[in-house]
Amino acid sequence: MGDKITAGLTSDADHHLDEKAFEDLYRRVYPTLKKYAVYLVKNPEEAQLILNDVFITVWKNKVQLVNEKAYLFRAVKNAAINYHKLSKRNFLRFDEEQDLEIPDKNVDPALNYQNKDQNRLLYTLIDQLPERRRLVFYLYRIDGFSYKEIAALLDISVRTVEDHLAKGFLFLQERVIRRSEEFR
Amino acid sequence: MNQENWKIILAYLSDQENEEKRKLLNEWLATDPLHQQQLEQATWLWKQTATIPANDEWKDSFQVIQKTVQNQGRKKTVKIWPMVAIASAVAAAIIGGLFIFLYKNAIPAQPALITWISKTAKPGKVLNIHLPDSSEIWLNSGSSISYPENLKHAALRTVKLTGEAFFKVKRDPAHPFVVKSLNLQTRVLGTSFNIRAWQGHDAEVTVLTGKVAVSQDSAGRQSAAIHLLPNQKAVYQPNSATLSLENIDEATLATSWTTGKMEFDQLPLKEVFETIERKYAVQLITTGNYRNCRLTAHFKNVSLTEVLKTLKLTLGIHYTINNNIIYIKGGTCN
Repeated sequence: MGDKITAGLTSDADHHLDEKAFEDLYRRVYPTLKKYAVYLVKNPEEAQLILNDVFITVWKNKVQLVNEKAYLFRAVKNAAINYHKLSKRNFLRFDEEQDLEIPDKNVDPALNYQNKDQNRLLYTLIDQLPERRRLVFYLYRIDGFSYKEIAALLDISVRTVEDHLAKGFLFLQERVIRRSEEFR
Repeated sequence: MNQENWKIILAYLSDQENEEKRKLLNEWLATDPLHQQQLEQATWLWKQTATIPANDEWKDSFQVIQKTVQNQGRKKTVKIWPMVAIASAVAAAIIGGLFIFLYKNAIPAQPALITWISKTAKPGKVLNIHLPDSSEIWLNSGSSISYPENLKHAALRTVKLTGEAFFKVKRDPAHPFVVKSLNLQTRVLGTSFNIRAWQGHDAEVTVLTGKVAVSQDSAGRQSAAIHLLPNQKAVYQPNSATLSLENIDEATLATSWTTGKMEFDQLPLKEVFETIERKYAVQLITTGNYRNCRLTAHFKNVSLTEVLKTLKLTLGIHYTINNNIIYIKGGTCN
């Protein structure tokens, strides 16, 4: 069998972030990471500033991201904790009852929906979930975090994560049954 | 259906190899015939939510970040201006060269000289390779793989694949294992999976154990990853540039080639012929148009003539063998 040895340059992306990989990383993590930051600081502008800081630090210090998602979510969490320390507010005490708000059933995105792209329609529904439930859904289904990892990121119990996910799917299913003609 | 049912289904869907979860699911299915239908609906929702729809929302905020880092990039190059000022008196041409040289050296990511090792399995052969990090690869006939000499110490264990290979990756969560193949990038920590990536055909990544992230790779740019669990596969269709997730019954079928078998499941005939060419190191020349033909067949370690006889029986084709060239014509699906 032909063993041949060739010398070459490694692409930068393998060891450091080049500009393309940097942009790509941001694009991939943005949907969930932004929601996570908003969830932690309760303010979209502050959340974006935190995201900016984290990414600028990654670039400036040439941080080698081995487990990029775990690192970025952890970094956003730390930044949010610092933000709250500065503004002297205690934010990690969320009441579990907070998520009991009922999604607005009058807003039915499917009504004025021409494009029957089912995946898009489902995500329009998912975006109607209460904030924390939606975040659990994204962390689990899109970013591949485990129940345990999500529990740690959100400071809730594994049991609660499981509940959120089941309720999220149940909500989707009920909506789909109700509008089954849209999904045929 | 209620919340508790969903918990049973989700536990099963996210870890289908788990006997206990499968047992719980089967018990639930047995309590009511309606449950089977509900499971199908749930599985459909599960699959449909595997990826988020494309969205450009990230772009505006990224521009802000990009501007900041670019400004900082410029600051670094400012330092070389005094030198340029001195040199400018000497010769403009040299400055240009010097500037480019210094600028290049000021850029953070410096490419290091790495030695890549390539291995190729010739047609008719399957090659078993042990990587320096104790991972194991079976390389199918006509495929090749290359990996850096320092693989064991690299932050990212990167391997490039052309063709088809089965991977048993040594678990090392601190150093993810990445396979770059045509159109796809597959990222794992430690699992076993099969990648089938032949030029001009759908590419497939099939998972046997563990958890695998597959993303589309076009010119070094990766799409959002889809996450695969055992008995799931990612299928990439190059024509439509779509990546989708499929559940399969038996993932081990995808690796039967490592033991010399050929398993075709509704495979386009063109691909069947190419597989035979690689496995038996022959050339097939066809006169007919077999574009709409598909074949389902299983061959255990059999001879080439045995395979051709079977094709003759099932497809009604005629063949003549001339050394390593086989001529094929006729056939009922032509």
